[in-house]
Parts: sequence; C-alpha cells; structure tokens
Amino acid sequence: MSIDRRHFLAGLSGGFPGLALTDLLARDGVLSGTLHAPPRAKRVVQLFMAGAASHVDLFDYKPQLEKEHGEQWDPGEEVELFQSTPGASMKSVWDFQRYGKCGKHLSEVVAPLGDVIDDLAFVHNIVGKTGVHSQGTLLQTTGFNRPGFPSAGSWVSYALGSENENLPAFVVLPDHRGLASNGTKNWSSMFLPAQHQGTVIRPGAATPIDDLFPPKDSDFITPGADKAGFQLLGKMNSRYAEEREGDSRLTARIRSYELAARMQLSSTEALDVSKEPQYIKDMYGLAPEGPGVDDTKINVKAEREFFGRKCLVARRLLERGVRFVQVWSGNDNGHPRRNWDSHENIERDHGPLASGMATGAAALIKDLKQRGMLDDTIILWTTEFGRMPCAQRGVGRDHNPFVFTNWLCGGGIKGGVTHGESDQWGYKPLDPANSTQVYDIHATILHLLGIDHERLTVRHNSIDRRLTDVHGRVVREILG
Amino acid sequence: MTVLLATAGLSAAKDPDPLAILENNCLSCHNAHDAKGDVAFESGPIPDKIAKSIVKAIAGSDPEMPKDRDALTSGQVEVIKNWVADGATIPEGRVLKDTYVPGRDWWSLQPIEKSEVPHAGKWSENEIDAFVLTKLQEKGLSPSPEAPPRVLVRRLYYDLTGLPPTPEEVDTFVAEYKANPEGTWSRLVDRLLASPAYGEHFARHWLDVARYGESHGYDKDKPRPNAWPYRDYVIRSFNDDKPWSQFVKEQIAGDVLYPDSPDGIVALGFIAAGPWDFIAHFEVGEGKVDGRIAKHMDRDDMVSATFNAFMSTTVQCAQCHNHKFDPVSMEDYYRLHAVFAAVDRAPRIYDLDPAMLKKREDLTRAIAEVQKEVKQLDSEVKAAGGPELENTLKKIEELNKAGAGKVKKSAAYGYHSQIAKKPDTEKWVQLELIDEVAIDRIELVGAHDEYGGIGAGFGFPVRYRVEVSATGNFEKDKRMLADHSAADFVNPGIQPVEVKGDGGPARFVRITATKLAARTSDYMLTLGELRVFDGADRNVAGKGIVTALDSIEAQVRWSRSNLIDGEAPVAGDPKQAQELVDLKKRKAEILAAINTPEREKKRADLETKLGNLQTELKKVPEGKMVYAASTQFKPFGKVLPTDGKPREIRLLHRGDIRSPGDVMPAGAPALWEGTTEAFSLEKNATEGDRRAALAEYFADPDNPLLWRSIANRVWLWHFGRGIVDSPNDMGRMGMEPTHPALLDWLAATLRDDPKQSLKNLHYQIVTSATWKQASNHRADMAEVDANNAYYWRGNRRRLSAEELRDSVLAVSGKLNREMGGPSFQDFVIEKPQHSPHYQYHLHDHDDPKSQRRSIYRMIVRSKTQPFMTTLDCADPSQMVAKRDETTTALQALALLNNPFMETMSGHFATRVGQQKDPIQKAFLLVTGREPNADELDELNAYTRLYGLKNTCRILFNLSEFAYVD
Repeated sequence: MSIDRRHFLAGLSGGFPGLALTDLLARDGVLSGTLHAPPRAKRVVQLFMAGAASHVDLFDYKPQLEKEHGEQWDPGEEVELFQSTPGASMKSVWDFQRYGKCGKHLSEVVAPLGDVIDDLAFVHNIVGKTGVHSQGTLLQTTGFNRPGFPSAGSWVSYALGSENENLPAFVVLPDHRGLASNGTKNWSSMFLPAQHQGTVIRPGAATPIDDLFPPKDSDFITPGADKAGFQLLGKMNSRYAEEREGDSRLTARIRSYELAARMQLSSTEALDVSKEPQYIKDMYGLAPEGPGVDDTKINVKAEREFFGRKCLVARRLLERGVRFVQVWSGNDNGHPRRNWDSHENIERDHGPLASGMATGAAALIKDLKQRGMLDDTIILWTTEFGRMPCAQRGVGRDHNPFVFTNWLCGGGIKGGVTHGESDQWGYKPLDPANSTQVYDIHATILHLLGIDHERLTVRHNSIDRRLTDVHGRVVREILG
Repeated sequence: MTVLLATAGLSAAKDPDPLAILENNCLSCHNAHDAKGDVAFESGPIPDKIAKSIVKAIAGSDPEMPKDRDALTSGQVEVIKNWVADGATIPEGRVLKDTYVPGRDWWSLQPIEKSEVPHAGKWSENEIDAFVLTKLQEKGLSPSPEAPPRVLVRRLYYDLTGLPPTPEEVDTFVAEYKANPEGTWSRLVDRLLASPAYGEHFARHWLDVARYGESHGYDKDKPRPNAWPYRDYVIRSFNDDKPWSQFVKEQIAGDVLYPDSPDGIVALGFIAAGPWDFIAHFEVGEGKVDGRIAKHMDRDDMVSATFNAFMSTTVQCAQCHNHKFDPVSMEDYYRLHAVFAAVDRAPRIYDLDPAMLKKREDLTRAIAEVQKEVKQLDSEVKAAGGPELENTLKKIEELNKAGAGKVKKSAAYGYHSQIAKKPDTEKWVQLELIDEVAIDRIELVGAHDEYGGIGAGFGFPVRYRVEVSATGNFEKDKRMLADHSAADFVNPGIQPVEVKGDGGPARFVRITATKLAARTSDYMLTLGELRVFDGADRNVAGKGIVTALDSIEAQVRWSRSNLIDGEAPVAGDPKQAQELVDLKKRKAEILAAINTPEREKKRADLETKLGNLQTELKKVPEGKMVYAASTQFKPFGKVLPTDGKPREIRLLHRGDIRSPGDVMPAGAPALWEGTTEAFSLEKNATEGDRRAALAEYFADPDNPLLWRSIANRVWLWHFGRGIVDSPNDMGRMGMEPTHPALLDWLAATLRDDPKQSLKNLHYQIVTSATWKQASNHRADMAEVDANNAYYWRGNRRRLSAEELRDSVLAVSGKLNREMGGPSFQDFVIEKPQHSPHYQYHLHDHDDPKSQRRSIYRMIVRSKTQPFMTTLDCADPSQMVAKRDETTTALQALALLNNPFMETMSGHFATRVGQQKDPIQKAFLLVTGREPNADELDELNAYTRLYGLKNTCRILFNLSEFAYVD
C-alpha cells in the first residue's frame, strides 16, 4: 500500500469498515516492513539548546579570535545583527584543548564530552535562514521556518511507528522552567495524524504526564473505583461496539482504554530512576537533593541535575522502545536567563548550561554504548543558530544565523570526524557554496533509519510535503 | 486515488526556439533550485552527458520526460535534437525561466452547471436524494432506511447546534414525530436553525478554516486581547444568515465596501487571524533583512489563507515557481501580495460612528505629520551643523560607550516633581535654611536615572531661575542669582552647576523651572542634590527643609528630603565626565548658532500644534478595538502603520527576498474564463480599492470556485467528508468530487438564491433521506464502498473536542450559556512580562466563566489546550478544513483523569443525586435513552461500592456518549 493511500485511510473520518485496527491505534508506521533501505539505526535523540548556543565557545575552536581579541571585529563587509552593531572580536570565554584519538579541540566548559569525542561527528558549517528565534527553532525542529509543519519526531513516528505500544512513539522532555520559542509547535504533528505529536513528559515533576492518573486531590476517585471502573467501561463499551458491527473505531476505542491502563504502569516504571545505581546517577550528574535543587541563581549543580535527569529518562525510554526523544535545554528567552540566549553574558549563562548539557549528553552516550544501544541510536545536538564572533556590550554575543554547529553520534555515524568548516572567525561557512543545512541533517538521519527523505511524503494542500521540503542531501562524509 | 495532470499549458510554446521549449517544458523541475535528478538547464554550459540524455528522455512513443505532462510534439523533439547537435548552448548571460503555467482545463475551473435533477426512485425526499440515489444505483448500491427517531433527534441537535438535546426534548420529539413526521421534523429543523447555538456551532467550523487564535504564536506568544470581536462577528453572521458573498466581501474589504457598518471593520479580523511573529516585526522590523523576510511570510499567510478558505485554491505553491499543477503563475502570486501590501495586523477601532472614526484617523494622521516635520527639522539642523557637529556627536557617543556616563549613586536619587503634560509648565523646589546665611555659592547637581535611557542629568530643568529670599515671600522679596529662563541651558549631566551668591542675607533658596526636561513623552523637574555654601565654604544645606510646588514621594528613590541628603551621583571617571560636559556644551553652542530665529519659531510652532492636536484627539471617543487588518494604528515597536500607502511589491525570484524582480501591480489569477490577471484600477486607486477589487473578484457570479468551495464545506460539516475531500484544494493535486453534479447543484442553489442563505442549504441537507439514513453496517454494501463515499448509510460520528466538552458541561448542569464578549481563559498566565506561560493545570474548573461554550475559549498558539488537543481539536497555527479523528490511549487518559472531567463528574452527580432515580436519570442525560435492566444492574452495583460521582465519571467515558448513534 502506498504511503498516500495509508495516510488517506488513517485520516479518514466517518469511514469505518475495512480499516484494520492497526490503522487506528497505530503501532506500525507507514513504512513498517517496507523501509526504503536497510536501516542503520532505530531510534533518535534530539538534544536542543533553546536560545542559540555559541559554537565558538563550545565546539568550534577559533585561534584567530584569540589573536584579534579586543580589536574591532572587521569581516570586510556590512553585518546586520539582531540586536546590536558588531563590537570587538571576542575569543572563547573558555580555553580549548585537544581530546581523544581524533585530537579534536573542545572547550573546557564541555570537557565531559572529551570522553566520547571519538564517537562524535561535528558539522561546523550549518547555516540558518534568519536570526529570529521562533523561525530558527521551527526550522530545526520541523524543517520550515514558519508554523504549520510536522516535527521531525512526528515524521519518524509516522514512518516507523512505535516499538512499544504502551508508550508513545515520540516523547518530548521540555525544560521544566518554560517552553522554548513556539512552544508545543516544535513537536506538533500538524497535518500528520494527531497520534504522532510529541507527548510531553516532565521528569521529576509531581505530574510527569498530563492526566496519566486521576487528580491527586480527587475526593472520590480511589484506586478501587478506578480499577472497577475500567472493567465496567470495558464491558459497556464492548456491548455498544458489538451492537454496531463493522465499526472498527469502536473496537479501537475499547483497546485505547486497555492501553491507557498499561501505559500507566509502563510509563511509571520507565520514569522511575530511583533504582538506578548510584554510579549511573553520578555519571548523569544528578543532584543529591533531586529535581528540587536550588537554582535561584543559575549554577552548575542545578543545570547538571536538570539536563542529566532528562538524559537518564531518555535512555530509559529508548530502552523501552520509544522511537524519538526530544530533550530541551533552556526555556523561553526570558530573564533571568535560563536559556542559551546570552546577549548579556556568555560566561554567566552558557557556563552552567553547557556544563550541565555536556555532563548529561556524555553520560547518555557512554550509557547507551555500554548497553550496546549506541549502534542503533542516533543522537543529534542542535540549536536554532549560533552566536557572533564579536562581543555584544563586552561580554555577550548576538545571534549568528550565518553559521553554527551540529554534532551527531551513534547509529551509523562515523565518530571522531569533522565535516564542513566555518571561516577563521566562525562567522560564515569557510566554503559558502557548500554549506550544510537542516535539510541535510534531517536527510542523513532519515537515511540512517532506512528512509529515503524524498519518498516519505504526505499530500497537504496541493503539495506532497516532506520533512526536507525540496532540499536535502545525505551527508555521506559523516557516515560510518 | 487518481490525479489528473495538466494537459495543455496556457502558454503552450509553438516556438521553434529550443530554449523556449525548454522553458515551457523542463524548467519547472530542472532549474538551479530544484535540479531534479541533478539536472538543471537554467544557464549554460550544459555538460555533454546531460545534453545527450535530454534527447533520450524526450524521444520515442512513451517518453520519460516531461514527467506528468504531454509529450513534446515531434517537431519540438526535432528542434531540441538539432540544438543538442549544435552543442546545446545557452548564450552567456541568459537565464532560462519556467514559463509553463498549467491550463484551465480542470473540472473546478469550469462554469457551474446547474444540472437537471435526475429522476430517481421512490426513496428520495428531495433533490439531493435524487443525485445521491442515481450515484448509488450507478455503483450497484442501495440506500439504508431512516434511522430511529431517537437517533435522528440527537444527530440533528449535534449537527446544527453542537449540543445534546435534553431528555425532555427527545421524548417530546419522539412522540410528535410518530404522529406527524414531516411537520415535526421541519419545525425542529427551523427551530434549531433559528437558535443562537446554531451560529456558535457553525462559527467553530469557520474559525478552524480561518486559523483563528488569540495569541500571536512564535516567540514570546503574547495574548491578542482584541481578537474576539471577529469571533463574535462570525457567530453573528451565521445566526443572521448573512448572504455568503457579503460574508466573503466583508472579510476582505469590509471597511471599503460596507463603510457604514461596524461589521465591515470587525470582519477584517479574518485577514489578521493567523500567527504573527512578534519579535521579527516588533523588535527587528522592516529596516532589516530578517524583518522584511518576516513581513513577506506574514503577507504569504494572508494571501494563502484567503485563497485556501474562499477559493479552495493553493496559490501559495506559486511562491518560488509557477504553480506546477494549477493555473497560477508566480506573477499572479505576487500580484496578490500587492493586494495586501498596505495592511498589517494591529488593533483597529470599529464601533465609532464613521464621522468620529474619520476625525480620529485625521487627527492621528495630522499628529504623525507634525512629528515627521519635527524630525525633519532635527535632521536639517544636524545637516547644517556640518562635520563639527557630527564629530562632536560622535565623540559624545564614544565617551558614553567608554563609560564616561557611568556613575556611582546611592539608592536615594533626589527630588522629583509631579509629571507634567507640557514642557512650559512652571515648577519650583526650594530650601528653607534654619538660619539666615550669607550665601557664597550654590551648587545644583543633576539626578541620575536610567529611565527612558536618559541617565545623567535626568530631569534637570531646560530653563530655570535660581532665586534667594530672606523671608520666603518670593512674590515681593527675592533676589535673582541666576536666570536661564531666556534660552535653553545645556544639560550638565551630574557635573555640579555652580551659582555665585550675592553675599546678602538669605534663608530661602528657590529653583524655578520655566521649561521642563522631557522624559519619554511627558515632562518633569528633578534635581539630585542642592548644596549651599557659606563664606567659610561650609555646605549648610543639610540642615534645612525642602518644600516644592509638588513632588513625587517614592521612597527611597525620590523624595524632597533626598535633595539635601549629601548623596549626589558621582562620575566613575571625573575627567571623562568633565570632557563629556564640555562636549555637550560645545554641541549646544553649535546648535545655538544653527538654530536661527526662524527655526526656533518653527519648532515652537510645531510643538504648539502638536500639543493642540493631542488635546483634541483626547476629546474624540476612543472606540472599541478589534485585532484586524489595519493601515492606521499607533506605532508599536518597529511596526509602523503604512497609512494606506502600499509597500512596493516585487516578484521574488525563488521566493527569496534578496532576489527581487519586477514591481507587481495588484491582481489575482485568471482562474476562470473572462477574468484578467491584473485588476484594472485607476491610477489614484487606494490600497482599499485593491482589496475591494479582490473582494469583487471573489463575488463574481462567474467565479465557479467560490460557490463550489462553500457548498462543499457545508456538505463536509454535515457528513464528515466533503464531496471533494480536500476542501482547501480543488486543484489538480486535490481530490476529485464523488458527486460532481450534486456539488454543482448545491453551489448553484446557493449562488442563485437571492438571500444566498446557508440555512436554506442546511435545511435541504438535513431534510434529505440521504442525511436521515440509519448508520447500520451492511456487509454487501461495504464490500463495494467501504468508506461510504456514496452514502449508502448514515455516518456515525464522534463528537468533536468542543462538542464533547460542551456536552459534559450541559449534562453536568453547569453550561453557562452567556454569549459573546471576551474569551474565558482556562489557564493562569505566569510571567506575563516576557514570554507568558500559559498554565492550564492551575485553572479552577469551578470558575463559572470557564463553563461557557468552548467557542468562547481563549485559544493560545504556543501551548494549545492539552485536553482539547488530545481530542483532535484544530491547531490554530494552520487552516484546518477537516478535523482529524484519532483514537489513542492518551485520549482515554484525558477523558478519565483530566481535572475538568473529574470536577464535572462531581457536579453531574450532585445534579442527578437530587432526583428520584439518579442512575437512570444520569444514563438518560448522557446517552439520550433509558438504560436496560443489565446496564442498570451493573451501574447500581458499581454505585453501591464507589458512589455516584464515580458512576458519573464512567458514564462520561461511554462510547455511546462520545459517538452520535
């Protein structure tokens, strides 16, 4: 059956007979069993740094900035920045040194990633479209810089379905302090069926999943009433369905309640990190006081706890068959900064965030590796754009959509390589004609999942839409 | 699904020019941008290998290329062969463009044929049935009998009002229907169509299409407090059964075409209803490339929404190249941009009588003009100052940047007068010393406050006098120490200003400002510190009492006593600070030299004029506001009103703002025979004329798309699927009609109805036998038509998110039927100052305001309501022609556990608990029927163990509640 045909059926309302149960409660994706190519990976983690993380302070080493530090930055052309006018060249706030066999330079603020550097593939010549947060964020999450398009996670869920019907295929772990630009648009399914939207899980929160359980303060829903209620409902709804033969939606609805009960158990189990051994908790940087750790002032300990806990939960979800996990670092671009939008002070805000990110991400990679899961799990580190090589008011940096960094790891990615360089300052791609765009990154990830990005399409308002629009080139240089 | 493909292009090339053949047949895919198969012919040289492959691809009886189009004629193939043989050259500098525009030979672009109603069998009740039955017979299918009355009445209530009937209404209907089916049915249909709930229900359908939301979306996602009048307008329009073409025209150009009706303006909420990138417009603005990109995307939203909604045509596909399937060229697309070139999304006044509104607009415009003149005067002065002024200004800026303006200051800033609206308001502050003193000198120190970015010298008087008095009676007894009331005094920043004493005895020192310093848009007098030195160089000010004409006592920052507290702001680097003061003095001298008496007078005149205009504007009533397309509004951030002057629109090559082409006039695609692309507008046509021309283009009786589009939507709203099941796209990439003759009959009926009444269409549909069929499964029919595309049975439909929520409220006895007005919020907004956090989990569901129908819910874009979203509610950031219907575990959890459901289960139990047979009553309310004995037993047993509230919770989760029949 063609993709269009399947989607056509899945999206049909009112037409019930002839639809298999799987079309309504899809565990299968449209490409299950009919992948375009043998897959190298089964799962994806997208680590998203909201607010725009600075490539030149974290991953993209620029000796030239050390030479010019403090001098008026002059790239030889007029530069239009988001907030400011270009200030002096500004070297990385942190020193860089070489790591691993590959000898790649890393900033000391992300030193924990040095342990896994030989597994990472860096792309330093990613270019965006504009320096506006909302657009940049949507571009990275959906492949379009305006609302209206499904998230990459939704496409993957749509194509591959879930490996575990008791858990959602696409899970989102947002920053608990607030949603990034565009909010839930970054994981919406838009014109794909709604079951492919990201399900929000808030690890460590009192209610990690909306409505998973009755309200805690309910004065009448007891566990007994709940359990007996499920049974009674099953009976009554089955009778209703039997009297209306041929309507598979009604059978699916009964099943959705069974799945709901199972999801209560399996997600509770998946989110419970208490039985993880201490060395694992330490590796991820979890704080002894847990999610309640004080962050009235931004600090390393809290940022490690926040990001590390999400990474640990991500690993547990991946182990249990979740297909796509989106992990967020950073909230809306408000003040005081708990996001990467460091216009005012790179050191103050990037410092703790980067330290937390690097600890959690490195732990996730090591942990997946020791469990043999890194081979078929892709990890993508991204952000909406980079930051300028020049200073904003002395110690901050303005937006740089002209070039920034992504790195990938696992699932068929060649480790210890760098593809695509930025120029001497990290201002633009060294070779502007051969830059990398989000389409290429998405095409590469789909390729590793066994999907031809040009063939995973859904017709919407006259256009056969795809994640990569009309672009995309598999970045073969970073494939293992 | 078959897709008919374009056969003949509008501009089919008969040219023997090989390049023209390429342009018309190959370039839509093989351009530098798309480069399908890595082949592009946009410019030379063409590699040998590719040149040879062209001939192979286009020749033969079943050629591979052009894909999805007619093969080239043998003559054309010959021309290309020769061109390849001659070296396949494209002259240097020539860039080939796609010239192919698909033709109009497509069903939806043909005139509407009001076809003869076919003669069908006995089954039919009206014309609709005749069309449906004919199709059924054609397919070897047969219709189903009428559904039972109990099912029919429930179906009708939900279909027309989105609310369930009460058990009493059901019983009455069933009894009467038995006696007189036809009369009872038609009376009920009329009654429901006349009920206000009808408009509320159908408005929801339209608002889905209109991508209506009440926050901006994108970054920061600010609320749109004035969006709701448009929502009320839509409800009102449906309830009033407004003629369809009027409804359409109002939403495009109501302000021009219906100037005497407030609806003419409110309707423009349609154009503005979609998301808006606050940061890109407000903070970045059109002065920068990113801002212009945002503006382009913003207009694209207006253009595509308009055509998708009213015309079911996807013009947005022609943004980067000609539409590949429908007759819409890139030029057409950008001509539509020109239609909306002057409007922005902004709050707009709508309820004033036209004369007042005009007065308001005239005054606003006049104020803007005077402000422009002031600005011009400023730049004139600046120009006259020449390089010396420029250098001085530059140095001041450099010093400021270097931190010369940096100060150390205490938390107590100084004295601050009340705010004045005009600069020439006189204000004074004075110091009464304990003992009489022979004053040697006085020092005035300016205050420092970052407010309004002002900093040093904040509020220091522009013109002032310093006087002393022995008695304090300044009327009679005073001596002038310094008089700066004739000319502006250079703001000294925080450098102390010394005033020589006269050695005479004084107990009172008074500073009188005759011209106040400006804040952002008002004026005040402030001073950081006042020092009074006696002959022994001692500051004696500390022991005194400060009084003033008026003051702001905002401890600790501002207070009269702060004037003599010994704490004055001090420059971080006194040397630089002095340099800064000197430079500012120099600047003032230069300006004084330039400021000729004429200029001075001009400035004074302008300021007076401005003041008068602003006073006058205050007297005009403000009016109510609607968020709509607007050309006149108070500038906000970098969003400036165009005042009706359209922005220049150029065709953008590949949709790229950095590759502008020709200037485009306003126009619309020639989608049917007899239209032309560009509007024929007068030379002096206004921007409103452009939109009015588009509105008239839509309403053209020959326009087949407008009527087919709405007829199809109405059908979809009743049957859950359209006759064309891609309701926003009737082009070649959309679906084809299952019942073309029926669609045209419906479209023509609406068009030719003098009232263009949708209610009439609804009546026809719900009184048809087609609509009234039972929804029972029939295996033999399903074999042929599994999806019921031909209507051999009724459709069992699931309640939409809104219907379900409203029904829960209705059944619980909590539904608040208040209509219209500002939306209720079922969330708490945290951190509103930067990026509002919409916290749904903090909402109190017992708040009666939030127990209104869901149509009155404030729809947020960045965080859609989780409960409603799970139930397949429309996403306001895209046009939703048709809701999804998914069944998920998360849905089950939401219906069981969401606090709204939990709260309402409690209320439902309270409602029925007061009745004789609470369980029967509850069951009846939820399903519309009595429970049978088994059901009653089961429910009774459960209730005995867990109580009525839990039973109510279970009843809300019945499939019988979630589905209609």
